[in-house]
Amino acid sequence: MQRGADATVFVVDDDASVRAGLAWLLRSRGLPSQAFENAQDFRDFLAAGFRQDQACCVLLDVRMPGMSGMALFGWMVERAMCQVMPVIFLTGHADLATAVDAVKRGAFDFCEKPVSDNALVDRVELALAQSVQVLHAQQHRQALVRKLAGLTDREAAVMRLMLDGRPNKLIADELQISVRTVEVHRARVFDKMKVKSAVELANVLQQR
Amino acid sequence: MARFGAWFGASSSAVRRWLLWGALVLLVSALLVTLVWLARRYEAGRLQERIELDAVDVAGDIRSRLMRNAQNLQGLAVLDVGLPQPWSLRAAGLLRSHREMLRIELRDADLQLLANADSEARAAVFDPQDRVALPKPVAQACRTARATGGPWYAGSRPVTTIGGYALEVLELCLPFGRRTDVYLVASYALNDILTEMVDVPFARAYDVSFSEVDGKRVAFHGVARSGNRTFSAQQVLELPGHALVLRLDSWRGTPALFPNFLTAMVVAMAIGLVFVLVFLARDTRRRLRAENELADALAFRKAMEDSLVTGLQARDLEGRTTYANPAFCQMVGFSVQELVQAGTAKPYWPPEQFDEYRDQLARLSGSQPPREGLESVFMRKDGTRFPVLIIEAPLINAHGVQSGWMTALLDLSEQRRVEEISRASRERLQATARLATIGEMASLLSHELNQPLAAITSYATGSINMLDNARQAARRVPALAGGGGADDDSASALPLHAAQLLDEGLRHIADQAQRAGKIIKSVHDFVRRRDRAHEVIGAHTVLDAILPLVQLQARKLGVRIQVRVDDGLPPIRCDRTMVEQVVLNLARNAMQAMDETEQQTRLLVLQVRRAASSERTAHALGWLEFSVADTGTGITPEVQEKLFTPFFTTKAEGMGLGLSLCRTVVEQHGGFLAFGPNAPRGTVFRFTLPVARRATPAQA
Repeated sequence: MQRGADATVFVVDDDASVRAGLAWLLRSRGLPSQAFENAQDFRDFLAAGFRQDQACCVLLDVRMPGMSGMALFGWMVERAMCQVMPVIFLTGHADLATAVDAVKRGAFDFCEKPVSDNALVDRVELALAQSVQVLHAQQHRQALVRKLAGLTDREAAVMRLMLDGRPNKLIADELQISVRTVEVHRARVFDKMKVKSAVELANVLQQR
Repeated sequence: MARFGAWFGASSSAVRRWLLWGALVLLVSALLVTLVWLARRYEAGRLQERIELDAVDVAGDIRSRLMRNAQNLQGLAVLDVGLPQPWSLRAAGLLRSHREMLRIELRDADLQLLANADSEARAAVFDPQDRVALPKPVAQACRTARATGGPWYAGSRPVTTIGGYALEVLELCLPFGRRTDVYLVASYALNDILTEMVDVPFARAYDVSFSEVDGKRVAFHGVARSGNRTFSAQQVLELPGHALVLRLDSWRGTPALFPNFLTAMVVAMAIGLVFVLVFLARDTRRRLRAENELADALAFRKAMEDSLVTGLQARDLEGRTTYANPAFCQMVGFSVQELVQAGTAKPYWPPEQFDEYRDQLARLSGSQPPREGLESVFMRKDGTRFPVLIIEAPLINAHGVQSGWMTALLDLSEQRRVEEISRASRERLQATARLATIGEMASLLSHELNQPLAAITSYATGSINMLDNARQAARRVPALAGGGGADDDSASALPLHAAQLLDEGLRHIADQAQRAGKIIKSVHDFVRRRDRAHEVIGAHTVLDAILPLVQLQARKLGVRIQVRVDDGLPPIRCDRTMVEQVVLNLARNAMQAMDETEQQTRLLVLQVRRAASSERTAHALGWLEFSVADTGTGITPEVQEKLFTPFFTTKAEGMGLGLSLCRTVVEQHGGFLAFGPNAPRGTVFRFTLPVARRATPAQA
């Protein structure tokens, strides 16, 4: 199970004992948690400059006074937060329709109270894994973008032709530069993109 | 066309009426004219008669006076022989007293003039030369007088006087025969005869004139006054030797229009007749108007009776049916004729209750019936029975005498049916409400118990995890069993078998907590299973189902209800009974909120419309928004906070589950329940329900 060292589980539930119990359970599996008493507080927390650079997930109670869990979820969906921060609903009412609806709308999973034991923690870990994956993918993508941004225009042109599978000579003809110069650019591209061959370069770019 | 016909009919009758009136007025005026004419004619006849009598009198007077004159002249027949006075003196005396005479002559047998005397009253008329010889007509008259031996008049003739005037003269010749043959000739002026010999009253009243038999007027006395001489009379004045026509003309002129009592009476009576006619006409018009009004009133009453749903039936004191309105006939299925012909036998009395009814009727005839009526059973023509409410009232005629009974009949079958339906639906809703309350209680219990149970499970599982961690750590580093890391303190401090026992106990705790949770869940599911049936229904169906119940309470509290359901709303998919329960709960809360204070306007608005797109519009087909708005006191902020908390209530007898249940139900359908202030006051509760998927209605 791959997870970030500083992954956080946010627990949003109006019942203090449930919050404490879940924290206890999560801590027993080595997962740090942060509890919120109601949906508004958590929303405010998210809105107040929370940066999604760590793996995290949310355990969200459906039924709470004031803003309900579903409403908060809707707010998060609108802001596309649920990829990096998967949401697991805690439902005390076994309401299948609500749960199914939530999952359809992008919730990671739902879990019936009081069946919140290790199975729940397993789900949490899966969610965190997804979070990590998404985060990695994001980071990877960002790194690639950064690397591509580092290329000069000429290098980018050489790379584009290279990826079309043309040999150096043809590239030189196309760009009306010498074969030697092409080779220099090629080496620089490999160096800047941190790859060893054109095949590897193609693979890296394909992941984008 | 019909309207034109009616107009025409009305017009023709009006024309006829006016024609009749015209004829009447014409006849009356003709009668009046005839009467007046007859009266005038009678008056004229009377006047004519009088004038004719007067004419006879006047003629008689003249004749007798002429005759007396002739006798007076006898004394002048002898010329101064042995008489104290000379002839001329005597003649002058006679002429003085009789001014109509112009001249008296005494002549001998040969008609030679012996003596003569002229009237002193006027200038001399005759030229003495002319009178030497008698004029021929006079001489002729004298001869005739001699022959007859009596006075004889010569025909009147015009004489030219000495002054040159024309004068009509009548001459009389008197013969005196035996001793001396002498003649006495007297000349009269015809005008003077009229002047002297007509008595003053006649002379004043009439124009008197003489004319010849051939009509030529020869003398006239009177003043030529203006006016029509309507009345005139003629009388022949026979004188020996000559005849004159005496003519009287009345000066009265046209008789006055109302010259006498008779005409006045006739006119007065005619005027009276006209007045009576006018009064009669006015009376007729009033009567006509009254008749019209009566006809209108009758038509009005007829329409009223026909439109009544209440059956009306009248019977006389013997119990014979005399009248039944259409509603009554429709109710019992008999026609009016059938009912009237049946007489005292009532075909609508069920045979099994016939005797009872007759007794009742007999009892009733003596006393005042109860105003509130009595419920009973009647029979239709086809034999079916139906419940009725009978209200009896005595029928009092115009003279204040009771002439029968009036029965009002209300068909109660429909009312009974409605009552039955209403009771059934009330019972159904009450049962649903009870079940829903139980369900909500179970749901709440499960929720409330689930929280601690969840905590227990979490703690137990967490503890087990920690123990496992500790044991694994101990196994990995057995050498360090004595002094472990910071997180292994508790585990390593325990003996291994104690940890084993602890682990077992914790697992039991977790298991029991799980079991408790499952029990609660099964109870919850059991209660919930019943109302899993979701139906596709129209929004109005929900409102229709609960409206009778809401109205029942609304009438009691004096609340006006407005239902506004937008047109063309799609059907919703929901658990019908539960949603009904939600609306009912909200409506009841709303009405109670309005009952709390002395509210002037109590208005409950139930509204359904398409929900505006909001954060909850993920449902592809959209949502319907139901709202229940009141004009009550509103909700205080303190209450608002705890409004949905289970077992929180502001009512003395409430359980505090109503709103909680509502929210549960709505959320089960995927909707949300919210509330807010209503303008201008009160509260409005809104909840949403999903629109049904048409193609797959049976999707669980």
